[in-house]
Amino acid sequence: MRHGIVLSSRVRLARNYEDIPFDAAQRPEYAAMCVNRTTTALKSAKLGEGFDLLRLREMSEVSRTAMAESRLISRDLLRTPDTAAVLIRVDDALTIMMNEDDHLRIQAIRPELDLTGAAQACFQVDDALSRQAVFAFDEQLGYLTACPTNTGTGMRASLLMHLPMLTRGKQMGDVGQLVAKVGLNIRGVYGEGSEALGNIYQISNQVTLGRTEQELISAVTAVGVQLCDMETALRDKAMKDGRVALEDVVFRAWGTLLHARLMPLNEFYQHWSNIRLGAALGLLKLPLTLADALLDQVQDAHLRVYADEPLEGVQLDECRATRIRELIRLGGE
Amino acid sequence: MAENENSFMLCEECQVNEACYTISVMMGGQVTQRHLCADCMAKMNMSIATGNVKHLLSAILTAITGAEAPAADEPREDVICERCQTTLSQFTKSGRLGCPACYKAFQEQLTPMLQQIHGRVQHAGRKPLNTEAAQRQRFRHEELMRQMEQAVAVEDFETAAMLRDQLRALAEKEGED
Ligand SMILES: [Zn+2]
Ligand SMILES: [Zn+2]
Repeated sequence: MRHGIVLSSRVRLARNYEDIPFDAAQRPEYAAMCVNRTTTALKSAKLGEGFDLLRLREMSEVSRTAMAESRLISRDLLRTPDTAAVLIRVDDALTIMMNEDDHLRIQAIRPELDLTGAAQACFQVDDALSRQAVFAFDEQLGYLTACPTNTGTGMRASLLMHLPMLTRGKQMGDVGQLVAKVGLNIRGVYGEGSEALGNIYQISNQVTLGRTEQELISAVTAVGVQLCDMETALRDKAMKDGRVALEDVVFRAWGTLLHARLMPLNEFYQHWSNIRLGAALGLLKLPLTLADALLDQVQDAHLRVYADEPLEGVQLDECRATRIRELIRLGGE
Repeated sequence: MAENENSFMLCEECQVNEACYTISVMMGGQVTQRHLCADCMAKMNMSIATGNVKHLLSAILTAITGAEAPAADEPREDVICERCQTTLSQFTKSGRLGCPACYKAFQEQLTPMLQQIHGRVQHAGRKPLNTEAAQRQRFRHEELMRQMEQAVAVEDFETAAMLRDQLRALAEKEGED
């Protein structure tokens, strides 16, 4: 059941070179050093294979924004396009972002609940690089980062979770308290402020210093599992006590996505949440992988890349509606 | 979490919503309580998670040092990092340190801040693999490369060949590790 609730697991490590100021992103000469050193170190460690080096300034704005929409790079990396670069291994969504807030952000994403797998992928890169280069590290404070909130392990482990029933049951307030109590953080992924469009949440460790990577991963995983259990209990109950009402919500959303001709993004999230719930409960014949791919593919920059046109406003909504039908049709074959 | 049914307390941050969270803040060496609403608590959590802690950090640091936010025109003795020239007041304003040496330079102010953020100030976890020996070897490699390029530039090929052999030997030694 859990696999219907956790979309993906992500681990990110912040690392800095000892002899370069933290704000290399603002200083082209240092930024170039970071990129060269990382690329060379990766090659010397015989880990370079499969990685592509992308410099953000050599990419179009829409294609780099599309990468951020797919979470392969962070939104923050887009702020310094002149100096930022990324080493990316597309096969397993492994990226080394360079010249963000820290010199390096090593990031791995795994489908479903697998923080350990994501962490191991990051550690492999971390070990390879730290054999070749000297990272800013202190025996007492651990890895030194530009911002004191990342000091220590420099690690952020996060789960992307779909929690429609907990949201509908107005239980997210309780969830927030539960999560904060164990030193974790929860927030909506899409939308402004405290919104959580699509009922998608990210839980992650807030503390990075004084706990081992393993402890942090266990804590996030444990809370993730607990939220899965809470969400599952509500889903089971709804299937037992109000199946028709639930099916009605799911199939109305399905019908809308299949037939709408204009689909604003905010409205899309609402329907998406319902069809993904339907897919996870087996009410809809829709593979979860397709549902999750849909989430990235209908974002603005993805649509602009796909249409190869600078779409705006209602053009975006039209393209989105078309793209949704197309992807569902393709996936259904 | 404060759950006093009788008293309605306003959030100290926005002064609008009812405060339902209580956090402890070091204030002039003493722990004092701050009362926040769910929204402001969420904002604070989010700013920590996204690393956008400008406001939060300066709030905490101001609280820790027990100092009023210094007026812009008021000259104060500032701590400076010798290596990158970042000052303590720049750090409190931006929330970002300038270089690894800043951690030592601002240690006095940073330690309570790290304690406040993380609850602990002793690292547990992974360490870099690079040992000092490996570091020395790398510097030696870079130095030999530099000398060899120089030798080639002045067409002193005898020296260049000698340096090349030394580099090879070094590379083989590296391979054994
Ligand atoms: Zn408030
Ligand atoms: Zn410094």
